[in-house]
Amino acid sequence: MLEIPAQLWQRTKSSYIWRSFFRHGYPDSRKNQSLAVFTNVFLHLHPVKVRRHALAIPYTWCMGGLSFFLFLVLTLTGTLLMFYYRPTTEWAYSDIKDLETVVLFGQLLRNMHRWAAHGMVITVFLHMIRVFYTGSYKPPREFNWVIGTLLFFFTILLSYTGYLLPWDQLSFWAVTVGYEIARATPFIGDEFSFVLFGGYQLGPNALLRFYVLHVVGLPLVVGFLIAIHFWRIRKDGGITGPL
Amino acid sequence: MGVPRGPQPFPGQEKRLRLLAFVRQDSVVRVDKRVEDTAMVWPHLLVIEFIAAMLWTIGLFAISAAFNAPLQDHSTPDCTPNPSKAPWYLLNLQELLLHMDKGLAGVVVPTLWLVFMAFIPYIDRSREGVGIYFTTPKGRTITIFAAVYATVLTFTLIVLDKVLKDVGYIEFASDHFPGGKQLFPNYLIPIATMLGLSFLLVVIVKRLYGAGTREWMIAIFTGFVSVYLVLTIVGTSMRGTGMNLFLPWDVPSTHQCFEPGPL
Repeated sequence: MLEIPAQLWQRTKSSYIWRSFFRHGYPDSRKNQSLAVFTNVFLHLHPVKVRRHALAIPYTWCMGGLSFFLFLVLTLTGTLLMFYYRPTTEWAYSDIKDLETVVLFGQLLRNMHRWAAHGMVITVFLHMIRVFYTGSYKPPREFNWVIGTLLFFFTILLSYTGYLLPWDQLSFWAVTVGYEIARATPFIGDEFSFVLFGGYQLGPNALLRFYVLHVVGLPLVVGFLIAIHFWRIRKDGGITGPL
Repeated sequence: MGVPRGPQPFPGQEKRLRLLAFVRQDSVVRVDKRVEDTAMVWPHLLVIEFIAAMLWTIGLFAISAAFNAPLQDHSTPDCTPNPSKAPWYLLNLQELLLHMDKGLAGVVVPTLWLVFMAFIPYIDRSREGVGIYFTTPKGRTITIFAAVYATVLTFTLIVLDKVLKDVGYIEFASDHFPGGKQLFPNYLIPIATMLGLSFLLVVIVKRLYGAGTREWMIAIFTGFVSVYLVLTIVGTSMRGTGMNLFLPWDVPSTHQCFEPGPL
């Protein structure tokens, strides 16, 4: 009985089309395991081999990887939310209401985006703590630590710009606190807050600016920084471990 | 012997060399690289990543199914909630605002903190203890000491500030201090306190534990993180109406609409 599907599977795997997709057999030998990693665009972020020490969960708590995972979740859920959201003071609030009441799984989508955003602030912070206490900023990884501090700053900024978008009392007044802080910047307070918020009070311009920063500007910056961060991990000899 | 497969070299360039990679010795090559120290990424690392991603996906679904993201009424600029609070991850800065000048607390201190953080590897340049939590047992002791030091002092300072303001310190300062209620209470005293206590921490761990660069860096980083957490906790769970200090279980609920009285 099972011969037919087995044969079919064999024929599929040896077909010209299949072999144009995958240039190696099932990764059950060292050779194929290596090929699986470095011929795959996603997996090739990894080396073929890592130090055993790097696999220990109590060493990293997976916090860097989970930060990246949450970034991907936020990109996906955020893109879906963009289909339902208009960044104008007339529509923003009612679009969020519609998400909660009219759109199928809209509430779940919004919840996932919200909690993943809070989660990412926490995981990035914990990742930074881990890297510091294991001395992983030491040579040759100094520059990657600098990139990491920038990523921490931009994570907070991403979360903060998203906070305004529902345009409810909570978001409006929370961002007003930030606006007051921006205005208190020494020497350039008024100019700085005018550019960031598009006016001298929170209004349609601020909403639009925060939206553009939240969905395009900051994710691009963070994406670039993540690329550099990952590249440098590889170039600096992978994850740290005892010398 | 036939012609070898692949692109043929141009005439005169038959002996070409390819530079595969130029790699600095100290960055990538590990001394004493033993096979038994390494594991294949497929399957050993990927399986961990896959399980972690699955668990977090399930967890995120569960949390999102159980708890709804907050949504209040449509924003109205005429109706200020009391207190108005920033998102929790910025409440540390909002808490700091209560104790010094706005620009100092909200912009200068966090900027300098980030710049200092970025500079850590350029101050502590030794390779001692890479990959070991806290570097040494002494490092662990210093971490605990710095955490207790910073936590206790931050709480004390917050309470002290409240007590001083309750007994009319601001009014006294504006009448008697040079520069009124700005110069000393809002600038000089907070700056002196922040710098002074940080230096004091370094001096103490150097004297008490004979701390080297890595160890006093652990102390100062732990101190910063502890202050950051204490300020976040106080700002989130101990500030109520008028941003006054309350015990966490006595914080009154937010007045949703604070309308300014007749002028």
